[in-house]
Amino acid sequence: MSLSSAGNLTTEESADPPILQVEDVHTLIGGQWVHKGIDFSIGRGEVVALIGGSGTGKSVLLRECIGLNRPTRGRVKLFGQNICDLSGKPLSQVRSQYGVLFQEGALFSSLSVAENVAVPLVEHTRLSPKLRNELVAMKIRLAGLPMEAANKRPSELSGGMKKRAALARALALEPKLLFLDEPTSGLDPISAREFDHLLRVLCDSLGLTALMATHDLDTLWGMVDRVIVLHDGKVIADGPVKEVAKRDHEWIRAYFSAHSGSR
Amino acid sequence: MIDASPSLQCTLTAEACVLKPRGRWCIDHLAQIDRLLGETAVPHNLHLRVDASELADMDSAGIMLVVNRLRAQGVVWANVELVDFNPHQDTLIHLLTERLDGSPPAPPVKNAWFPSLGQRLAEWTQAMFGQFVFLGRIVEGVFEVVRRPRLLRLREFTAQLDAVGLKALPIVMLMTFLIGVVFAFLLGIQVRKFGANIFIVDGVSIAIARELGPLLTAILIAGRSGAAFTAQIGAMKVTEEIDAISTIGLSPIQVLVLPRLFAIVIAMPLLTFVADIMGLLGSSLVAYSQLDITYYTFFERMKSVLPVELVWFGLAKTPVYAAAIALIACSNGFAVSRDARSVGEFTTQTVVQSLVAVILINALFAIAFPEVGL
Repeated sequence: MSLSSAGNLTTEESADPPILQVEDVHTLIGGQWVHKGIDFSIGRGEVVALIGGSGTGKSVLLRECIGLNRPTRGRVKLFGQNICDLSGKPLSQVRSQYGVLFQEGALFSSLSVAENVAVPLVEHTRLSPKLRNELVAMKIRLAGLPMEAANKRPSELSGGMKKRAALARALALEPKLLFLDEPTSGLDPISAREFDHLLRVLCDSLGLTALMATHDLDTLWGMVDRVIVLHDGKVIADGPVKEVAKRDHEWIRAYFSAHSGSR
Repeated sequence: MIDASPSLQCTLTAEACVLKPRGRWCIDHLAQIDRLLGETAVPHNLHLRVDASELADMDSAGIMLVVNRLRAQGVVWANVELVDFNPHQDTLIHLLTERLDGSPPAPPVKNAWFPSLGQRLAEWTQAMFGQFVFLGRIVEGVFEVVRRPRLLRLREFTAQLDAVGLKALPIVMLMTFLIGVVFAFLLGIQVRKFGANIFIVDGVSIAIARELGPLLTAILIAGRSGAAFTAQIGAMKVTEEIDAISTIGLSPIQVLVLPRLFAIVIAMPLLTFVADIMGLLGSSLVAYSQLDITYYTFFERMKSVLPVELVWFGLAKTPVYAAAIALIACSNGFAVSRDARSVGEFTTQTVVQSLVAVILINALFAIAFPEVGL
């Protein structure tokens, strides 16, 4: 890592191997290098935010971590396994160990909320329907939804409830790692803070490791352990929010001052 | 090293009951945990202590099961003493006991058959009503364009004409050519039996000009362009583009429906004409190779047996087919709701409905004008 000073700032320097390792990732999209050598790693229990201007490839990087896109060069290791080399059954096995919360929720529109949450359970476990229903009810409550929402279709839910339902589905298989793409986008400030709070509570109580791409400064200040800043295809800062906000870099200064008036 | 498979030890002392879960109390062993908890009876009158000192791991699924099963046995959770749980598990247990009030989700209510019949009927009536309203708006739009031709979106119209007409030309030509070949071949076998070889020309030319050419073209266009119309308009509905068109002050009918309607109505007779020619070419090829009827003889005979009004009749049916396909396709496109499934559903409906409509209209024409050209 070229900016190794950032590495020391991480809160958790544990003996555990990192859960997610991104090594020298380069990505070429439409003849342009979106990523020019990105390195970072995330240890157990960290809640990390990925920030950067629009078009700096946050979402692409997130998709590469999930194994939906392949980096042009470099490696992404999840739980010590290089996800770019995996396919078929081993890939499916790694995939059942993490949950993903997509930006718009990506709930299956033809299924009710309860059925949506049950999908991963049906696919990856052999539980009896009774136990499965109990689990589904628990996840729905855990995500802070009222029980009445269970039988509703996604189209009948508000934006905040959709995100919660999607979170319940992402948590269905007891993942240790959670990826979130813009978890608070499209929510009003009150719902957004509630959702942040919910995420923080769940991360603490379930012992989750989380990587999120976000634009929301309040999320950064409120619930994130560490921030990784992408700029011009590289990681320009990596550390706790407070320290990153003090960095003397043009983009970081502009980013954090965009909100300083109210802080 | 702690054993992975879960087990449960229950120790009763004078003043307390101690539950000692061992191993992994996680989602992968849930059925086993359920059995263990079911086998253990917890006395109500004693103080309950849950000791996690030999627990390998416990996730939210495991905790849920412990909480739900103990509660089902009448344990008041607030009185339970938790020992040796790690801080994560402690907060999770508190969170879950708070949130799980023990009420399972109510199963979805299903209507009895009679009320659901009424509901269906009401929905169907409403849908029919919607169709008539849509038809009315289109007719209104057509009249407006006739009065002020400037309203027609020329660029969209030509783009659609290209997509519906020109781009469909190769497949229409290929299809009708092949059908002409097959039809002439089978008919040829029959006429040869009677030594009436030359009558193959009568058969194929009348069949192709009157029925096969128009019908095949309509079926192809219904599947090809009808489905495309519904999917295009439906996708625009999903991304709120149609709402955007209305708020800019344009009429979605003018912008989306009329160019498609006019394009398909104009393209269909032209395509059918080409289809007729290709079908006859295919037949003449077979007539030559199978029955030794030269091309010259074939077309000379055709001139005398195929009256021009029969060709006109075949072509005149096609704008009606085209209008039906466009109306069905566009109204289904507007009926799409904002989820992924309904685009597919309505596209399927478009193809089915427009095929039925085309065949029905064809039957009506056959009954109404049985003697044309025969």
